[in-house]
Amino acid sequence: MACSAFSEKAPNQQCMKVGMSVANRKKIGWYLIFTVPLLLIFTLIVLVPFVIGIYYAFFQWDGIGANPMVFNGLDNFVRLMEDERFLRSTWLTVLFTVLSVITVNAAGLAFALLVTSKLKLANLARTMLFMPYLIGGLILGYIWQFVFLDVFTLIGEVTGFESIFFNWLNNEDFALFALVFVFTWQMAGYVMIVYIAGIQGIPGEVIEAARIDGASGWQRFLRITVPLLMPAFTISLFLTLSYGFKIYDVNLSLTGGGPANATELFAMNIYNEIFGYGNYGYGQAKAIVFFVIIAAITLTQVYITKKKEVEM
Amino acid sequence: MAFNKKFVTGMTFAATISLLAACGGGGGDEGGSEGGSEGGSGEQSTGISIFQSKVEISEQLEAAAEAYTEETGVPVEVIGTTGDDYAQQLQIRLNNGTGPSIFSVQNTEVAERLESYLYDLNDAEFVSNIAPDMELMLDDRLVGVPYGVEGFGIVYNTEMVDPADIQDYDSFVSTLEDFNAEGINGFGLSSEAYFLIGHISNYPFSMQEDPVEFMEQLTNGEVTLTEVEEFQRFGEFMEAIRANTPTPLNTTYDTQVGDFAAGQTAMIHQGNWAAGMLEDFEVDFEYAMAPFPLEGNDKLAVGVGSNWAVNADKDQAEIDAAIEFLDWLHNSETGQRFVVEEFGFIPAMTNIEAGDLDPLSQAVLEASNSGETIPWAHNYYPANVVPNDFTPVAESFFVNEDMTGEELVENLQAAWENAAQ
Amino acid sequence: MKAIGNWSKEILLVLMALVFLSPIYIIFINSFKNRLELYENTLAFPEEFGLQYYSAAMERMDFFNAFLNSMYVTVVSVVFIVILSSMTAWMLARSGNWVSTVIFMTLIATMLIPFQTIMMPLMQLVTGITRTTGIPLYNTLSGLIFMNIGFHAALSVFLYHGFIKSIPISLEEAATIDGATKFGVFWRVVFPILTPITATVMILNVILIWNDFLLPSLTLIDKELRTIPLSVFYFFGEFTIEWNLAMAGLTLTIIPVVIFYVIAQKYIIKGIGEGAVK
Repeated sequence: MACSAFSEKAPNQQCMKVGMSVANRKKIGWYLIFTVPLLLIFTLIVLVPFVIGIYYAFFQWDGIGANPMVFNGLDNFVRLMEDERFLRSTWLTVLFTVLSVITVNAAGLAFALLVTSKLKLANLARTMLFMPYLIGGLILGYIWQFVFLDVFTLIGEVTGFESIFFNWLNNEDFALFALVFVFTWQMAGYVMIVYIAGIQGIPGEVIEAARIDGASGWQRFLRITVPLLMPAFTISLFLTLSYGFKIYDVNLSLTGGGPANATELFAMNIYNEIFGYGNYGYGQAKAIVFFVIIAAITLTQVYITKKKEVEM
Repeated sequence: MAFNKKFVTGMTFAATISLLAACGGGGGDEGGSEGGSEGGSGEQSTGISIFQSKVEISEQLEAAAEAYTEETGVPVEVIGTTGDDYAQQLQIRLNNGTGPSIFSVQNTEVAERLESYLYDLNDAEFVSNIAPDMELMLDDRLVGVPYGVEGFGIVYNTEMVDPADIQDYDSFVSTLEDFNAEGINGFGLSSEAYFLIGHISNYPFSMQEDPVEFMEQLTNGEVTLTEVEEFQRFGEFMEAIRANTPTPLNTTYDTQVGDFAAGQTAMIHQGNWAAGMLEDFEVDFEYAMAPFPLEGNDKLAVGVGSNWAVNADKDQAEIDAAIEFLDWLHNSETGQRFVVEEFGFIPAMTNIEAGDLDPLSQAVLEASNSGETIPWAHNYYPANVVPNDFTPVAESFFVNEDMTGEELVENLQAAWENAAQ
Repeated sequence: MKAIGNWSKEILLVLMALVFLSPIYIIFINSFKNRLELYENTLAFPEEFGLQYYSAAMERMDFFNAFLNSMYVTVVSVVFIVILSSMTAWMLARSGNWVSTVIFMTLIATMLIPFQTIMMPLMQLVTGITRTTGIPLYNTLSGLIFMNIGFHAALSVFLYHGFIKSIPISLEEAATIDGATKFGVFWRVVFPILTPITATVMILNVILIWNDFLLPSLTLIDKELRTIPLSVFYFFGEFTIEWNLAMAGLTLTIIPVVIFYVIAQKYIIKGIGEGAVK
């Protein structure tokens, strides 16, 4: 095919050999043209600094250029296995992320289904539900402090459900849920956008055909919508996982890691190690270990959901 | 086809390159702040840059910088930041060689870490005017010029509290109990790290004979806090406060001061900086500042909130220019006006007259002038121990009613050890 | 019965949207209150809807200059991101060899790196390049744009990649047979089909870049270069926030993004009616 398309004048026998290699070279050429510009920038801005960061993980250093950097091999990595605050923070981060992934995606998908149905207010709702994401994480945390402090306690007093509506932020068990709650509020509209794009990609005829075949709404959703939404799931799950694991600004402004470190999530723990305690090398070691764990988990997730995607 | 391919190649490369090339045009000027470090071209006037942590004075500092440029022709760039990320940004800037010429250093601990970036200001003329013991020293090098003097203690509503009733532990506690019975918050702390535990934890340290030496002993494991009387009393005070007041964890600095202004709180633990906010709240009663009566303490805690430092990593011309700016700020009439009136500092310079002061600042100034003060021990704490280690301890103390004052002190010791290692 | 179902859905939708908007209500009303009013009641309406805090915020932020800077950085960054990442994603998705898989996996793995761990090496690198080669990456808007492209490449490629996988390859094959080059195929056939996901990519990147504080604060020094998030630092004190000005500033900041979102989402939703009615 390629041979006849690109080199019509070439004699037929040679076409196979020469044509193939020309086509091949062309192919590689196009490949490079399409990918190199972006990958070059990406490598320079993200990869190289990351690798430099790995290098620092093997040193005892406070991160001040003029102060001594002492090579200490794997000491940093050994140390973090016994660092209880780090281990606790890791556990909290996993818990937070798992809970958030579920709530964010459930809410996001529900919103997406609602606003793509033929409702009169769908357009308006689509904008309103997305609004929270437009506010930066820092401000958002401060606003929610108001809500938990004033609104929640007010609701508690008025309704009498004071065991549910109180200031969650000061309760070691509830503060993490408060964080999940706010994160869901922020991100649900975000993944909604991804799900909407996915739903838009499902050909109407397919669903219509199923309707004619007598499939109920629920059946249509489970048998057709869900499988065809697999790419959207891959994306949304991955995005929430990665944002969940990396969460910092909402964490900082909403709970500041408190009370009593009950919500000190991973990014904040690293941040405190590096800029609070001045252990730059050790902080980098933490970051790398965590990165490896998370990458293993999320890449597995991407691999699994990708496999389930239906190619059309 | 060939044409097309060339076109494409051109397009994609143009994408990257035009971006880089555009830098020249889009970026505008390089900024006087940077010029000095490279080549010899930046002769005409060495600009300086200032990076500092007290966001409240950013705008006024920019105005001062403009006034200075107008008078001398030296460009001054004030780099902005929110208070939260100052330390991190400073570290990154110093490391990559784009550090400011003048920056702020909070205390000795920070100064030690940044030692090699701190220029020795001993030879600068204006430092002779710094009030006694107010300069920031590392050994015999003078590395920091104080912003001004600040102080904290018990800020009380004079209509509700008689200072005679908060002279010692017993009277203090019974005052708290009385207010509690009336449904008034007797003593308000707030949830921010320094307002929750950072400042109030000063007292048992500051009341040691030699606080700095005491802290060294603590770091070396030579003293146990629970055996020190001041700390035992401190634990009791904290228990009494927890028992008789609503939890400070539900209070922000804004609501703490607001409650005080509204008469719902009789006393708060705050510093003279709160006066500005009290004005915002249109307070209609008189208020004053009293010492925190730990072990009969009758002095306010007075110290320096932050210091100006000059970046030793810059070339000499820029260093000289930076020193000249600081000289202008503290010696010229215009500069002094900015310090006192615009920044609102209580000057820590003998040659600067304090302006019209609010009642809290007046109390601090009087205490400072008479020498009747206790030092700010927290300026010698291990770096960041307050937000990173003390605050979680204090939070769990206020959350768990069954944690005793003694356990609080034990946990503070553990927190100290963790931070000092 | 159907009608009732729809009605209850409509009501549900409105309720949910209102709950979602309540914190935004808090932002809005508190941009009109002084500290005393804010303290007295966070939730109540302000005594008057005066615009003085808005004009004060605009003046202190040097709003128009900051707005132009933000606009410039966001628009140019997003245009480059869309062009470069859609091309890359298409290549990676359509050539199913191991190189593409490795590149793709590397890209998305880097999305898991917390920014805090690479910002210091990054700034060393960027200032190093600026110093040795004279390419002004540091303290210029173009340098910031360049870094934005690098940081948002992964997310954008990831989004495009997922979408491209779900569009039929037959269209492209047909175009190839007709003699179009890869370039022609991509821009004339593929890219138009990608419109919904392009809109998504644009929306998400516009918001990320528009609201970004950390990266611009590290790379921009000159006052004239400040973007909007950088210019609101005046309102954040060491211990307290000037709420009215901060809220007014925030409201001003998000209005342009809301307008953009409302316009852009039409392209995501395009065809919604046709698909269902047919």
